[in-house]
Amino acid sequence: MTTSRYLCPYCAARLDDHDALKSHVIAEHGSAPLPRADGQITITVNGQILEQKVEPEWTLYYLLHDKLGFSGAKQMCDRGACGSCTVIVNGKAILSCMTLAIECDGKRVETAEGVAAADHPLIEEYVKHHCMQCGYCTPGFVVTAKALLDRDPDPTAEEVREALGGNLCRCGTYPQHTKAVLAAAKRLAK
Amino acid sequence: MEHFSHFNAQTVDDAVSILRRYGDRAHIIAGGTDLIGKMKDRILPRYPEALVNIKAIPSLGSIQMRNGMASIGPLCTLDEIARSEIIEGHWPAVARAAARAASPHLREMGTIGGNICQDIRCWYYRQPENRFPCLRKGGGKCYAINGDNRFHSIFGGSVEEGCYAVHPSDAAPALVALDGRVKTTKRTVSIEDFFTVSIEKTTILDLDEIVTEIQLPLPAEGTKSAFGKFALRSSIDFPIVNCAAAVTLSKGKVAAARICLNAVYVRPYRPAASEEAILGKPLTEENVELAADASVSGARPLSRNRYMVQIARTMVKRVLLACS
Repeated sequence: MTTSRYLCPYCAARLDDHDALKSHVIAEHGSAPLPRADGQITITVNGQILEQKVEPEWTLYYLLHDKLGFSGAKQMCDRGACGSCTVIVNGKAILSCMTLAIECDGKRVETAEGVAAADHPLIEEYVKHHCMQCGYCTPGFVVTAKALLDRDPDPTAEEVREALGGNLCRCGTYPQHTKAVLAAAKRLAK
Repeated sequence: MEHFSHFNAQTVDDAVSILRRYGDRAHIIAGGTDLIGKMKDRILPRYPEALVNIKAIPSLGSIQMRNGMASIGPLCTLDEIARSEIIEGHWPAVARAAARAASPHLREMGTIGGNICQDIRCWYYRQPENRFPCLRKGGGKCYAINGDNRFHSIFGGSVEEGCYAVHPSDAAPALVALDGRVKTTKRTVSIEDFFTVSIEKTTILDLDEIVTEIQLPLPAEGTKSAFGKFALRSSIDFPIVNCAAAVTLSKGKVAAARICLNAVYVRPYRPAASEEAILGKPLTEENVELAADASVSGARPLSRNRYMVQIARTMVKRVLLACS
C-alpha cells in the first residue's frame, strides 16, 4: 500500500498534497515560502515527490518501511549483509538499512512496489519460476534484478548470479532467480 | 540508532573544521557501510556525537590520469574502480580486488577511501555493547589470544598493543603491490606506511585528517599484476586470506616483484623473503613454490589458525603464477 504523506515540519499535521501543506504552513505558522527545517528532505519514491522531516539517525529503511509504509523493503540482518532491504537510489541498487535518510535529499528511490506498479516482466517471471517460498527475500532480489536489467538488458547467467550475490535466501531458491531474470530479460528484448 | 548531529560538508576545509571543533566526538561518513554497522551495535566505548557527510564534496570522487599516475578520489566507489578502464589498463589487480570486495550492493555504496580506512572485524572487538573491552579499545586484555582466533593473525601481533586482529581490506594488498600512495589533508605517505595498529583505528590519520587522494604510479614496462581472495562464500564474505602481486618480467626473468598478503597480519603483509626468492628467476612453478614457501617462513600461528598458513602459501603461489 502506498500513501502519500505531506507532513508539516512544525506540527506534524498530515496534508494531502504539497499545495495543501504550503497553505497550512502559511496559515498556521505564519511562514512563507515553505522553510527547509533541519532534517527536511525532498525524496521521490516510485515517482511521487515527498517532503519529509527526518532525524539524522533514521536509516532510509526506517523512513520507507516504518514511516512511509513501503513494506516491500524488509529488515533481516540490519547490518548490510543480506540484501533484503535493497532499494534503488538514483539507479543503483543499494542497502537501505545502511543508508541515512537525511543523506537522501533530492534522490530518486524505487522500491519493489514501484517495480510491481510498472508491471515489469520480472514480476510474472518470478511467479512462473517459483522464486518465492516464504517470500521474505523476494522484494530485495526483484529490486536488485530490476537495477541489473536497467543497466544491462542482456546479462549472461554468470552476470545475473554475480549481480544477485548480495541477496541471501534462507529457503534456498537461488537457482530459480537466475532463470527468472534471464526470462525477464528475454521478454524485455522483444 | 541513538541520536547524533549531522553535517553536510561542502568542502574539505569545511569537513576538517567541523572535525576540529568536535575533537574525538565526530566522525566523517562516506559510504557508511562500516561506520553505521559499528554505531548500530555500539561496539565502541564512545558513540559519535556528530557525523560529517563528505559525499557532497565534488573534488573527491573522480579517477583520472595526472602527471603519469592514476589519481583516485577517496569517494570513488569500489564498483567505479572495478569498472574503470583507467585502472584496468595499468593496475588490473586493483580493479580485481575492488570487484571481489563485499557484495554488489556494498560495492556501489562503499568507497575506496573507506575501504582502506575500515576498522578490524575481530569478533571480540565487534561484539555489540562493547561486550569485550579489549586492548584495541584501550582496555587491558586481548580476548583472541586464548579464545577463538581462527581468523586472526598468523604472523603475530603488534608489539605495543598485542592486538592480533587482521586487516580485512581486499583493496589494500592490491594498492600495496602496486606501490600506491595516500595523500591526506596533512601529508602524503606510501600506502604501507598509512596502516598502523592503534586504539580504535587502523590508520595514521589524526582526528581532523581526511584522505584526499590515492595515487598509483605507472608500473614499469613488462609489469603484470594479479589478485586472489580466499573466503568461505564467493560473495559478501571478508577475506580469510587474500594476496596481490605485481611482477615485472625482463628477458623472461623477474626484474622486480612486490607481493602483499592481507587478512593474515595486523596490517597488509609484504613477505620480503618471498620477493627476494623470486628475484632474477623465471616464473616457473618450481621457483614460485620456493617463493611461496618463503612467504610463510615467519609464520607464528595461534591455537586455531594454523590452516591459514597453507592457504596463504597457496594464494602467493597462485597470484605469482597469474603474473606470468
